[in-house]
Amino acid sequence: MIIMAEKTAQQKSWGVSYGEMVRREFAKNKLNVVSLVLIIILFALAVFAPFLANDKPFMIRLDGKLIFPLFASLKASDYSILLAAAIGIWQLILIRRNRRNIEPSIRGHVLSRQLLINASILVAGSVLLYVFVPRRLDATGYRELISSGRASDAIFAPIPYGYARTELEVREQPPGKEHWLGTDDVGSDVLCRLIYGSRISLSVGFVAVGISSLVGIAIGSVLGYFGGKVDFIGMRFVEIMMAIPVFFLIITIVAYWERSLFNIMIIIGLTTWTGNARFIRAEFFKLRNQDFVQAAVSLGLPLRSILFRHMLPNGVAPVLVNATFGIAGAIFIEAALSFLGFGVAPPTPSWGQMLSLGVSTTGRFLWWLTLFPGVAIFLTVLAYNLVGEGLRDAIDPRLRKAA
Amino acid sequence: MNNGTLLAVDNLSVHFFTEDGLAKAVQGVSFAIQEGKTFALVGESGCGKSVTALSIMRLVPDPPGKIVSGRMKFKDENILDLTEKQMRQIRGNQIAMIFQEPMTSLNPVFTVGDQIAEAIKLHQKKDSEQAWADSVEMLKGVGIGDAERRVYEYPHQMSGGMRQRVMIAMAVSCQPDLIIADEPTTALDVTIQAQILDLLDELQRQNGMSVLLITHDLGVVAERADDVAVMYASRIAEKAEAKSLFQNPLHPYTQGLLKSVPQLGFEGERLATIPGIVPDPLHFPSGCKFHPRCPVGGKDKRCQMVEPELREAQTGRHVACWYAPGYETKQEREEYESKYKQ
Amino acid sequence: MIPTLLGITIMVFAISRIAPGDPFSIAMGPGGQLDAERFADFREQQKKLHGLDKPLPIQYLIWLKRVVTFNFGDSIKHHRPVIELIKERLPITLTLNLIAFVIIYTVSIPTGMLAAVRHKRFFDQFSSVIVFMLWSLPAMLVGQLLIGYFCGPAFVSWFPPAGLSSNQADTLPFFPWLTDRLWHLVLPVICLTYSGFAYLTKQVRAGMLESLRADYVRTARAKGLSNMTVIFRHAFRNSIIPVITIMATLLPAMLGGSVIIERIFSIPGMGMLAFEAVTTRDYNVVMAVATIAGLMNLVGLLFGDIAYAVADPRVSFESNV
Repeated sequence: MIIMAEKTAQQKSWGVSYGEMVRREFAKNKLNVVSLVLIIILFALAVFAPFLANDKPFMIRLDGKLIFPLFASLKASDYSILLAAAIGIWQLILIRRNRRNIEPSIRGHVLSRQLLINASILVAGSVLLYVFVPRRLDATGYRELISSGRASDAIFAPIPYGYARTELEVREQPPGKEHWLGTDDVGSDVLCRLIYGSRISLSVGFVAVGISSLVGIAIGSVLGYFGGKVDFIGMRFVEIMMAIPVFFLIITIVAYWERSLFNIMIIIGLTTWTGNARFIRAEFFKLRNQDFVQAAVSLGLPLRSILFRHMLPNGVAPVLVNATFGIAGAIFIEAALSFLGFGVAPPTPSWGQMLSLGVSTTGRFLWWLTLFPGVAIFLTVLAYNLVGEGLRDAIDPRLRKAA
Repeated sequence: MNNGTLLAVDNLSVHFFTEDGLAKAVQGVSFAIQEGKTFALVGESGCGKSVTALSIMRLVPDPPGKIVSGRMKFKDENILDLTEKQMRQIRGNQIAMIFQEPMTSLNPVFTVGDQIAEAIKLHQKKDSEQAWADSVEMLKGVGIGDAERRVYEYPHQMSGGMRQRVMIAMAVSCQPDLIIADEPTTALDVTIQAQILDLLDELQRQNGMSVLLITHDLGVVAERADDVAVMYASRIAEKAEAKSLFQNPLHPYTQGLLKSVPQLGFEGERLATIPGIVPDPLHFPSGCKFHPRCPVGGKDKRCQMVEPELREAQTGRHVACWYAPGYETKQEREEYESKYKQ
Repeated sequence: MIPTLLGITIMVFAISRIAPGDPFSIAMGPGGQLDAERFADFREQQKKLHGLDKPLPIQYLIWLKRVVTFNFGDSIKHHRPVIELIKERLPITLTLNLIAFVIIYTVSIPTGMLAAVRHKRFFDQFSSVIVFMLWSLPAMLVGQLLIGYFCGPAFVSWFPPAGLSSNQADTLPFFPWLTDRLWHLVLPVICLTYSGFAYLTKQVRAGMLESLRADYVRTARAKGLSNMTVIFRHAFRNSIIPVITIMATLLPAMLGGSVIIERIFSIPGMGMLAFEAVTTRDYNVVMAVATIAGLMNLVGLLFGDIAYAVADPRVSFESNV
């Protein structure tokens, strides 16, 4: 049972928690905050992509009747993403509330319960959406309908193009009034594909890093806690994984398996976990001998409680920092793979794939297909790197100051 | 030189300009070290004693620290007026320093002999061979056995006590006039502590050096020091000859410190402590910095508002406390009381 | 060491065998038109021929034996022994990477040191910003921009957009041939260098900053040593240790990047070979490239370990091997 502490003068004596200190230190540097804002904007772009760039209008009067094609054509995945964003925001609000109302010693417990509940809602919701949302393929050319007079009073999204739309007459157009950032080799609007491409990049980043962190933490904590023979054998395995050239391994796997977004995410995750494992192992070595761990052991607490409830929160900091850099790295790798043609296949939009079209088959230099996706990758990676760097600085020197 | 005073520090103030604010680490500190004597600077962590020591060598890290005012006369020259080049001639040569942590204070990638020889080569202009031979002699002089072999060892191959001996060897290698020892034994075992302090004593007698001993250990001060200054929160609270200080401490802080030393064989009540903690240099209390913890002046308005300066209350005894005996004449006290005490 | 080597080979082998499908359906090419029955026979025949009907561990050992003698089989696409292809292509990639490597080290170390010594002042702030941006720039963007603007009609045409040598290069005497080669290498080397440079400069700077804050630097100053001596002898000697170990991981990372750079600039090196092999499903080549890359990685790591043991007297050689 969770006991809710009263919101009284007790709060003032709670002091500042580790997370608080890191947050404050992080916020001191304006650059960090700007990068974080940039990341949030990117997220917003990814979440609201179908509302920003869509060739179906929000609403249109067709044959006298008012219909809403855009909403009707939303896919289960779009809804899931919106659900995820909503739950994410809700969780952040809850965390804020926790900080204000709940005593620090039980805060972690409460937080993990909330995460669990919210995650299950998300999963259940996604499954339900997948089952119940019909897959409508709407290929109606709404603009033709307007020009032909059958439809009128249409409200389009700001960028009225679909990312999979091919209009060969306007292929390889430089930026202009119609297509603000130009078109690619099959006539799709570049800006639209850029926005949708953020979904791919961000999802690859997060899933790959999620897998990499989980695997790394799992292996690292076991090795670090048990030491001895377990550690010896385990470290040989980790060294083997480290010695393998990651990029070559990835393209080797891509050669044998089919190209798919899913495969790429898993592969990147499974080949980059070694850094996290080493960090956790090092931290666990340090923590293993500390008194609070010995106290937990002597109380007879179960192993998983010791590892994950007591030791892990203390050792997870370098993994968090590494995760941020990992997201940047994963985005890089996905872009590189797509650039080489080993990543996602068109029509799925990918920044790397768009980059590869920069030099056309006829040898023309299509600068807008190089610059815009390239800058998109650059800014995203830059933002994550800055945040990672800021996190690292926020965690580190503070420790030094206290010493 | 002049009446036997080797180093005279006069009204030294060192401030640190940090991103969290201004920290006045040392304020108005004055003391004098006599030739051949040991002067102890005592105080708790954070009181400014290490910064004072670093200031004498002008090694205070310049951003963020700055020597804001004061004079330091060493052998007729004001240290603060010297150029960096002249200063370098003094460091390691006329004034040497040993630090608290011998493991991190020695460079891990150079051999012990190399590090000692470096100072010799620099200041005594000897060539490599001679310098190394001198290093071996120095190691012998600090009591390290098998010196010819040990000279080629790295710091990590030696124990803490041995490393500190190496530090001392390095410091003494050029026969300085003054050695500043910043908590030389704090990081060592108790038995080794005694050995190191004996070693310092011995070297001091041999070479006629003065020693500025920085420590928080009153026992060490009682045994080894000739003169003492007690520092609290950037200022000197009391200054006297060691014997007088221990027999009759004048400042409430010193009294509190001495009372809190556990005595062997004394059975009795709880160990006395000074309540409260040392103030944060970024937020010093007003008035006398000790007043929040002082049993004497805690409630006194003057102690809370006006900082007492260091005055010679009795011959050879300096205190900074409104209520120390001899600080004010009876007249001054009566004047104050009539004015402010209703 | 040896276990790691074996581990790499096992992993490469495992991937090749676990993957769905078999080499023959695809090796038959897009025009494979044997009908179901004849295809089944053909498959059985091929399997026996290539020893694929034996149990997996045996297959692995057979493969391993051949690999040790550098026999990687024949390339399906080029119809030549793979080892020949590698012998042709590897030196090119190695040259490219080595040049980049040397440039990176000679420029990064002074830059990082200067930034650390002038901590928080102009040079440090300025270089940190630039280094950070370089670190985040994707090579594909830089490469294509360079080609687009410096190799063609769009802007200026100072460099050739592709290849290692111009068409008539073979007919030239040595020095002009060399110049022509180098001219072709300028842009690819730039692409390969800038991100390694960014990374290393950050590491050097961080290492120097930490050294400069260390106690032994304070001791050195207290001995009266000049600032130059303190920086170059005491601080540098310590901060160089982590930088040396980075050497071990930098080369393999650059090899990975070679794939992209060689593709962009059409340079016939190992990276290009890997790319072609993956695209055409040339399995023998793919496995060979992966194994060789793993081998080079290992060599790099070993070299790093040795260098580390030499540089840091606290580390003994045996504890690492």
